[in-house]
Parts: sequence; structure tokens; C-alpha cells
Amino acid sequence: MTTSTPEGSPMHPIAPGDSPPPIVSVNSLSVAYRSGGRDVPVVHEVSLDVAKGRTLALVGESGSGKSTVAATLLGHLRHGSRITGGSVRVDGHDVFALPARELRRLRGGTVAMVGQNAGQALTPTMRIGRQIEEAGGTVPVADLLEQVRLPRPAELARRYPHELSGGQQQRVAIAMAIAARPKVLVLDEPTTGLDVVTQRGVLDLIAALRDELGLAAVLVSHDLGVVAHMADEVCVLKSGRVVETAATRQLFADPQDPYTKRLLASVPRLDDTGLAVVAESGEREVRPKVPVPEGSPVAVSAHDVTVDYGSSRAVDGVSFDVRRGEVVALVGESGSGKSTLAWTLAGLRTPSGGTMTHETGDLARPAHRRPLALRRRIQLVFQNADTSLNPRRSVGDAVRHPLRFFGTATGRTEATEQARRLITDVRLDPALAERLPAQLSGGQRQRIGIARALAGEPDVLIADEITTALDVSVQADVLRLLDDLRRERDLACLFISHDLAVVRGIADRVVVLRHGVVVEEGPTEAVFAAPGHPYTRQLMAAALEPDPDAQPYVDDTVDWADAADGDDIWTDPGDGGHRVRRWRSLNAPVAEGVS
Amino acid sequence: MLSFVLRRLASAVGTLFLSSVLVFLAVQALPGDVATQILGKDATPDAVAALRDQLGLDRPAWERYFDWIKGALHGDFGTSLVSGKGVGGEVAMYLGNSALIALVTVLFAVTGSLVLGILAGLYRDRWPDHLISTVSLIGMSVPEFVVATVLVLCFSVALPWFPAVVLYGPDASVGQLLPAVWLPALALAVVMAAYIVRMARTSVIDVMAGEYVTTARLKGLSTWRVVTRHALPSALLPTLHVIALNVAWLIGGVAVVENVFNYPGIGKLMLSSVQNRDLPIIQAIALVSAVVYVCCNLAADLGAMALNPRLRTRGRTR
Repeated sequence: MTTSTPEGSPMHPIAPGDSPPPIVSVNSLSVAYRSGGRDVPVVHEVSLDVAKGRTLALVGESGSGKSTVAATLLGHLRHGSRITGGSVRVDGHDVFALPARELRRLRGGTVAMVGQNAGQALTPTMRIGRQIEEAGGTVPVADLLEQVRLPRPAELARRYPHELSGGQQQRVAIAMAIAARPKVLVLDEPTTGLDVVTQRGVLDLIAALRDELGLAAVLVSHDLGVVAHMADEVCVLKSGRVVETAATRQLFADPQDPYTKRLLASVPRLDDTGLAVVAESGEREVRPKVPVPEGSPVAVSAHDVTVDYGSSRAVDGVSFDVRRGEVVALVGESGSGKSTLAWTLAGLRTPSGGTMTHETGDLARPAHRRPLALRRRIQLVFQNADTSLNPRRSVGDAVRHPLRFFGTATGRTEATEQARRLITDVRLDPALAERLPAQLSGGQRQRIGIARALAGEPDVLIADEITTALDVSVQADVLRLLDDLRRERDLACLFISHDLAVVRGIADRVVVLRHGVVVEEGPTEAVFAAPGHPYTRQLMAAALEPDPDAQPYVDDTVDWADAADGDDIWTDPGDGGHRVRRWRSLNAPVAEGVS
Repeated sequence: MLSFVLRRLASAVGTLFLSSVLVFLAVQALPGDVATQILGKDATPDAVAALRDQLGLDRPAWERYFDWIKGALHGDFGTSLVSGKGVGGEVAMYLGNSALIALVTVLFAVTGSLVLGILAGLYRDRWPDHLISTVSLIGMSVPEFVVATVLVLCFSVALPWFPAVVLYGPDASVGQLLPAVWLPALALAVVMAAYIVRMARTSVIDVMAGEYVTTARLKGLSTWRVVTRHALPSALLPTLHVIALNVAWLIGGVAVVENVFNYPGIGKLMLSSVQNRDLPIIQAIALVSAVVYVCCNLAADLGAMALNPRLRTRGRTR
């Protein structure tokens, strides 16, 4: 699709180097959004082709227009947007010239979409079976559910969306999309809300269905690992313009445009032993980790902590220490209890057992019962800076409030001054203090979230998935900031993440959680060098690297069962506190290759 | 699901019990001796004593409460102090007349305003929306007695289509009352509709902007199907409670409008009993209003359950 090949006879078998005729063809498409009485261009003269059976990835950061372009394949524009030039042709139809009835037939019948958030894309008041049935087609619902590898299809069809897990919901959305056997599948960030293991399952399913049904696919993603894994061609977008288009392997091996280079270089990798520093030219350098000083005191210590939600146990007997100046990462898929643990430490939930202590006091009480002096020492940074800042108050206010509250600053002017200093400390222009959260970018908002947490002069910082919602280049900056701050301020940092590559770059120690139980913990290098527990290996195998030829980081073929027994819980590979929960293999020798 | 319904029913019964206690206590709390209050300052001590005896005021309050509530449960609310007839029959008669107005109002106001609200939401920021929103805002801001008076001016005085006042007593038949029902019902509907229209509009706009509505559109479904199957069940949920509150409000609204039209309904009875200090009737009406409020809210909650599978499937395991 990089070169415009002359129209070959469709009867001709496809020779190497010769592209089949495109089924999707976007030609100098421009889209503008009407705001405040004038047109704001969001897509500029974008052209692309997708051939039958091929997958094109649209890559870019937020605001690049990638989702807008993808939606035009279904003739859909956001409220207030319009086409200002160019055309979109799918299967021979000019999409935006189709009468309403024909357009409806095209949607679902010829092009189908799988959206980002299946939890919100499914109608909450309708049974799943009905929703799939409605999408048309002649394939029975049960067959479709089976095709997306969902268990007990007949029973599942009678469920409502809220009764399914995130991964199951996404599978239902896929079943709905392929119901009428379309020719083109548009996938808009299909796995963004899912954790690595679930993501891997959904991607494998999409790839299998695509090949089985001979679909052309357009994949929108900001995750270059996903793109490398799925796409034949990649089109890089920046501010609504195509920056670079190339075959996947070529793009990842030899990016041409400096923007593509920077984007690729910003992605953290599983084998990075520190945080990457990316130069303007796209040069990448891994900054080595600074070791935690010997004899650094333990700031927080959790011992045998359990947390219950009603009758179910979210965290079950977890112990760990975090020293000053150290980053300890809690990793695990969603539902592993990592966020619950973080929130409990921050005092937002009460543990049902075990002890949690800080250098200066007991943490088993909820935040509002902790003495003020202790409360300010443990601060939480939220995953979502957009929703954790009051939209009607300036960000300066957000930082100033805890300063006054904790008594760090006495007077009003002093508080204002300190707030500006904190904003400077998180590498932002203090002039931003007057702005409202909505007037800042996502990365800037997250920095304000960090500045607000620092206002209490804490010695423990809990970072709950703080970079999950950010673009890769912004993520790299925020991670570097966090790394700098913990050195400057000698912070103990509990870092919650499901992204193993990020964890490897920033954490000194790793604690792997599964169903609320620690299955492995140890120094980051030791765990990554020799992951001992099959669950850790499964997580690492599911992580996708931004390289189409990447081999899985580790093999993952073991079926296992927990073998911890009474006091005999751990095996100890003996590498600076690296220990692994006991397990035994269930793999019969013949069962090899079964995943 | 069953446990949810049962719990909701239990809480409705509890609310009714509490409100009956409050109603009873409120009457007890009237300043001075009840008998003196009823008979006035110039009453002879003999008359006061006789009335005290008739009301059983010498017995402890809780005993009288249980007597009253026991009677009420059997439909016996005591005897009217003015007419000397059974309170139950009297209230039921007036209530029946009011129910006629209420029924017509609810029927027209709820269906009409839902349709208008949904239309306004679907045609957001276009002329149908502007028209509906403006008119409903006006309806909301004008008090019901003004609306009623204007309606009388237009449709009884200028165009003599409907009677301006009702000349029948409370024992009039439905056929006699029917021509007189329309104007009061319309006056109430105008005021009531405004809230429902605005609520329905807002929630339709919210839901139509949701991802699942976009998904349904992109499945290639017709607009009618997208709206009726995907958007409306969710959009009606918040509207349901506004409807319930408005229907309950009818009891109060009815009092004003009935007096404008001299309509022999519960509102009129309430006003005259307050003037006559007919305490048993006032107690009965207060209790009936409480029942109406509780029933409306109960209906709204059960309706919400029918629309929201999250509530229906609660307790079912994943």
C-alpha cells in the first residue's frame, strides 16, 4: 500500500510484490470540527489503502485523528464534525455519498467496528444474545459465541453485559461485529482497557478470526507492541497528518521520520534495565538505575495483610517492605488485588487482618482516624488525573489546599508561593497554576496530581497505575520525573502497574500478585532474569514488545497448581531476597504445546 | 430479585406506619385542648366535656392512636364532626372524583410529556427542541391557579366549550362530572409536564451520546430501533422518579385547581375541613396523601427494576 500499483486484473493470481486491489481506499480525506463558530481541522489529507486479508494499523498519540479516520470507514463522524475534502471508498462504495438506507446496509454488513470499551459499547438493558442477533446475519448466536471462544454459549446469551468480565465483554463485541460476516473490521483500541493476559487472548482471537474469515482490518492503537504483533502495514499519524507509512517490519526496523523514531524509542522494553531517555533525533539511551543506599530505613512495612470485600478476599496474607528511596512495584492482572492493597495502605480501606506500619505509626486505621502527622506522610497519586482533580478549581488551588490543610504552609501567600515551587518541581511552568484542569494536557494533569501528593511532604508515595492513561512519550517523561523525585526527596514509592516493561525500568523490587496472593517477589533484575513462578512467566510471555519479530520473553506452556503448604510456602532461588511461591507442574509429558 | 421487592415493600409499609404516627401526633400537637379548638372559645364547659368524651381525649395518646389505626385498616376513620357521617365514605367519595381528574391528567401529561421530551432530546438544538423547551419552561414557571384561570378565560368564557365551574355536589355521577374534568386536568398537566419534559430531554441527550448508542448505530440499525431498543430503556430510568414525584404532587396541585373550578374533589374537602376544624377528616386525608406518595415511589422503584437489569439480576452469581 506504500506504492500505488496500477490496477491489475482481479482474476490474476497475486504475484509477490503485487498488491491485490484495495477494499478500503481513503483518498486525501480532510475532516474539520466546528467549534466556536469556526472550523478546526482534525484530519488533513489522509490517504490510505487496505487490501483484502491485510491489516493496517493507524498509530499515533491522542489527538492524532486516528480514531476519527477509522470511524469514517463506517460513515460515522462525531457530532459537529464534517468532511472538508477527499473521499472514503469501501468495497466500491463512496461511503459519504451513500443514501441512508444503503449506509445502514454497509454498516455491519460490509464494515463492522469493535470499539475501545466493550463495557460501555454494549447496551446495558439488553441481553447479549439479542444484541448479537440484532447485528444481522444468518449465523446462530450460539455459534458466534463459540467462535469467539466463550464458554457455555447458550447460557451466556441470556446474560446482561454487566454480568461478564471485561475480556468476555470484548469477545461479545467481537461476536457482534462478525455476526453479519463483514469484509472489513475496524478495531478502535480493542484491548486498551484490558490487562496483558486478557489482551493477549483477545488479540489472538482477532487474528484467528481475521485469517479464518479473510477480513481486511484497520487497527487503531497507541500501543506499538499491539501494532507490531497484529499489523501488516502501519500508518503513523500526528496531528491529523500521515507522517509515515510502511510495512510493519520495515517501519519497526528502520523508521524514517524523526517523529516515528521518537515514538518507537519512547516505548519501554522488557529488557531495559533502567528508564529510557529519548533524544529529539530519536536516539535512545537507557539510564542506569541508581541503587538504593545501603542501610536505608524501612518506611512502610506490611505483614500478612488481608483485605475482604464482603465475603470475598481481595488480598490474602501479603507482606512486603518499602525502604526510603526505593521503588517497589506491585504487578498482576486486573483483579489481582494490587490496587486494593495500595488503597488500603493509603487508608481508603480497612484491612481485615495483618499489620501495616510506618516508621512513625500504625497504618491499620483508615485515613480519617490516622493522626494528621502520619496522614500527610503517605500520599496517593491516582490513575486518572482527569477525574481526580476538581474541574472547577485551578490546579494551583489543588496543590495549595493540602499545603494549608497539613500546615506545611502557614499563610496564604506562603502557600501560593510553595504551590508554585511544587509545580516547578514537577517540571511545569508555574504560570500554569491559574489554569483549570481541562486546560492542561493529560501529562500535565498527572504532574499536578504528583505535585499535590508532594504537598504534604510525604515520605511514602503510592502511584496507582499513574501512566496507564498517558501516551508513550508522555509516559516516559512522567516516569523519569517520578524517578528523579524519589532520589531528590528520598521517597519510598509503591508503584502499581500491569505493564511489565515499565516496571522493569523503574522498580528496584517487584512483587507479583495473583488473586490477592504473592506468587513471587525479589529484586527486579533477579525476577526478570529468572522468573520462577509460572504466573510471572505467563505475564512476561503475554507482554508485547514493539518488534514484529520479537520472541516471547519467556516460554509459557506450563499448567500448574499451587503447592504452598502450611509453613512451607516459598522456594528461594537465593538471589538477594528473590523468592517464589511453591507450585507443581500439571503438565503430562504428552500435553506439550497445549497453552 | 424477590428479596429486593420484599425489602422495598417492607420499607413502604414502614414509611406508611411512620407517617401515620406523624399525622396523629401533628393533630395532637395542635395548641390547646382539641375539643376547645374545635368548638371555639365561647363553647360551654359542658359541650367541651361532651366532645372530649366523644373523642376519647381522656385516654392516653398511644391507645387512641391504635384505636384510630385499627379502624383505619378496616376503612373506618371515625365520624366527621361536621356532617356526622362516616369519614371513610365521605373521603372515598371525594377521592373518587379527584381520581377522575388525576387519571386524565396522568394519562395525558405523562404520555404527552414523555413524547415531547424524547423528541426534544432527539432533535437537540434544532427548532423542535427550542420550541418544546421554551413552552415547557413557561409552563413550569406559571403557577397552576394562573394556568387554570387563563384556561377558564379561553375555553369557558371566550369559547364556551367547557363549564367554568362545577355545579354538582360530591355525589355527582361520572357522566355529570366528565365535561368538567378536562380544564382542571389540562391545567395540572401543563404544570406537571414541564418537569417531565425537561428531565426526559436531558436523559435522552445523555444516553444518545453514549457509546452503546453509537455502537448500535454502527451496527446498521434503523434510528427507530436504536432509540426504542437501545436508548429509551436507559433514558427512562431517571425520568421515572420525576414522574412518580409529579404524580404524588398532584394531590397538592389538585387542591388549588379544584378550588378554582369548584370541583367536588379531595382538595375541596380538605380546604373545607380545615376551615371547619373537622379533625378526623383532615387526619384521613393526610394519611391518604401519604399512601399515594408511598405508592407512587414504590411503583417508580419497581418500574426502575423492570428497566434496569443490574437491579433485577442482583444476587445472581457471575
